[in-house]
Amino acid sequence: MDINQKRFIEDALDLLNELDEGLLQLEANPHASAPLEQVFRTMHTIKGGANMFGFENIGSLAHQLETLYDYVRQGKMQVSDGLISITLHAFDKVRDLLKEKDATRINNSDALKEHLQVAMEFLKAAEATGDLADLSGTTVSKDELATFFLRVSPSVALTEDGNHPLIFILQDIAILGNCRVLVHKHPSGEVALWEVIIATTTSQAELESYFMFVENECAVEYIRLAPGDLFEDAAFTEYLDALQGQPVALEQLQPILDRRQTTYTAPLEEEGEGDAAAGRKRVASDSFIKVSKRKVDDLLNWISELIILQAQLSNTALSLQHPALTNVTEQLEMITGRLRDTSLEIGLVPVETLVTKFKRLVRDLSRQLGKKVNFLSEGAETEMDKDVIELMADPMIHIIRNAIDHGIETPEVRKAAGKSEHGAVKLKAFNSSAYVNIVISDDGKGICKENVLKKAQEKGLVAADANLTDDEIYDLIFHPGLSTASQISDVSGRGVGMDVVKQKIVELRGSVSVKSQPGHGTVIHIKLPLSRSIIEGLLVNVAETRYVVPMNVVERIDRIPYAELCRDNKVNKTVVVNEEPLFVLSLREQFHAGLPPPRTTDIISVQVNGARKGIAVDKIEGKMQTVMKPLGDVYKHQDFISGSTILGNGNLALVLDPARLFSMSVNTITV
Amino acid sequence: MSKHYESHAYLTFSLGEEKFAISVENVQEVVELEQVTKVPNAPDYMLGIINLRGRVLPLLDTRMKLGLQRTEITKKSRIMILDLTTEEDKSLQVGALVDIAKEVIELTADDIQEAPDFENYKTHAPITGVVNNRGDITMIMDIARIFSTADIVQLNTLN
Repeated sequence: MDINQKRFIEDALDLLNELDEGLLQLEANPHASAPLEQVFRTMHTIKGGANMFGFENIGSLAHQLETLYDYVRQGKMQVSDGLISITLHAFDKVRDLLKEKDATRINNSDALKEHLQVAMEFLKAAEATGDLADLSGTTVSKDELATFFLRVSPSVALTEDGNHPLIFILQDIAILGNCRVLVHKHPSGEVALWEVIIATTTSQAELESYFMFVENECAVEYIRLAPGDLFEDAAFTEYLDALQGQPVALEQLQPILDRRQTTYTAPLEEEGEGDAAAGRKRVASDSFIKVSKRKVDDLLNWISELIILQAQLSNTALSLQHPALTNVTEQLEMITGRLRDTSLEIGLVPVETLVTKFKRLVRDLSRQLGKKVNFLSEGAETEMDKDVIELMADPMIHIIRNAIDHGIETPEVRKAAGKSEHGAVKLKAFNSSAYVNIVISDDGKGICKENVLKKAQEKGLVAADANLTDDEIYDLIFHPGLSTASQISDVSGRGVGMDVVKQKIVELRGSVSVKSQPGHGTVIHIKLPLSRSIIEGLLVNVAETRYVVPMNVVERIDRIPYAELCRDNKVNKTVVVNEEPLFVLSLREQFHAGLPPPRTTDIISVQVNGARKGIAVDKIEGKMQTVMKPLGDVYKHQDFISGSTILGNGNLALVLDPARLFSMSVNTITV
Repeated sequence: MSKHYESHAYLTFSLGEEKFAISVENVQEVVELEQVTKVPNAPDYMLGIINLRGRVLPLLDTRMKLGLQRTEITKKSRIMILDLTTEEDKSLQVGALVDIAKEVIELTADDIQEAPDFENYKTHAPITGVVNNRGDITMIMDIARIFSTADIVQLNTLN
């Protein structure tokens, strides 16, 4: 696959998300024109790109669907459930296809055949029922005719007869209306600048969309010269003819334009008088750029080096007491601080990127289950680490699935219970200190405590006479192998899921809690660290090696004499801590055996996979918040260490992954 | 410029009494040995991790990697910070502990002879050539092959 195709795929995947969003909006407001225009334009852009980069199958499917929406635009067809559904499903297939690694596999003509057929039949059916009877009758409201001046300067070397996509784009544009293209070349024969004058009904936004896939290879300046077709003006064509290879000088054209502006009366002049002048300065520029993750990571690495150097400089300045040096150092400190804050933000993306996915899920699932569900989101602009968002997508989808499948009742049941027929699933995101909170709630039937407890007791997960608090009972739903759905459905309820959800969250060093009120619904509260690289934990010492135990799993700490930990000659391998037996893993025994032990040992009680376990360390030194650095592939087999962190004195501490630490110790014990 | 005189820069270092040279393209810098933090349950030649001005890098014992005895830490011990490329085309930085890091020398293709078949080293030390300066032998080493991640990971699993 060539670089242009790859770029197209990347952009197209973004466009497909926009399209989904647009379609869902259109479904909610079938008569609104903004989402309709967006859907139409997005499809058009996908079609154009697909055809240009050799994915004709996608192009023709998009074309077929675009035709349907064009009828809607012209008021000849209604937005219907069926229309939205076939479009969503067709583009779902396109999305799957684009994830293939191989261009020929993407362009497999059979892959989209079925959807193409469905779209064609939909059109036929609509024609047959007479929906499209007045096809030629009503007048089509067209966009306003105007003359645009485009300056296209390629930033790559290309010749006029080459086969760069840009050449084809210009050819496509030339047929949109009355057009003249002036080419200016470098002495070497490569194109320096194209000047395109075109009188067209195509809007500027649409013109801009043509250049979307080549925006890295050229700069395009759009100037709306005047309303109507300027080529009708003899003075204008005379001017163009007289140029003889010179570039167009707008100052010289100004008198013609001014005259045109005053004499031309369009039937519907939406834009104000000064628009042509204002538009002249408009240069195609995007507020977003795509940057590879590696570059961002590199940048962050350099910035952390800078911060450490800056700290050294501050120390030196402090000892030298030179006023000029102190002054510069203080300013540098401020700037590096800002640089760090800004750079940490680069890797953050809004939760919103997931919302469209969830809306789709809610739509498809509620239909499938015959339930009525509204999806609401709040605080979707809250930003999170991109990696965290990607890793959280599946767990959140699972929670929403559960909410719709098990939580929300059927409309009849809801009505009988005196609730509105429409259930609601709500996603709320907000920041609190170094955490991002995600709350997913539903107003369904809630979790039946008694059922959960009964099931857990049946399976022997809790003792029959155990006295559990509400929170402890709700927490059982995260236990592996516990599902309260009395009937296993194909949506959820296989008994795997909620435990995986919890595991994923804990891996990201977050926490999750459940609250539920029978008859009123369930609230699942997820708390995640703002960044994967920032960690809060306990700094501990074991045989002069420093470890960090992540705070999110820590439950309590106790200091006991070291002798109590030594169970070598005893049958009972657990240690009694706080009057309860606890399985304790000694880091000293595990990793630093053979050294003389300390007098006392600190036991950190942690929650791992639903059970409480202890980690024995020599001494807890304190709580800390710090930046975690990965150890890299070289140490990928030592996965019970999730990373390292640099301490104030420049030494390193190892960050433990408690879950993996215990699974490893189980393995080594059984061996 | 004719091909014969085109020279390449090499960093020489020694392991015990033997002298080696690696292309400077792979060497980012040479630093002194400071604090090393041992990572538990790792093979012996993986000495631990070091803090290089805010970057955390793995430190490997070059001698042990070549099947020699553990490097004894002296005042002359140095860490060569190496830039390697993994099989998946990712860049990887490691610190390689050597007894003495010497100097950067310029060698032309004429200076380098084909490597004789070292029986012991054949599998362990990819020696691509030899420089014989009146009996003083310097071996040109393909450092990327010694510290390739696939190899490290493999040894790691065997351990």
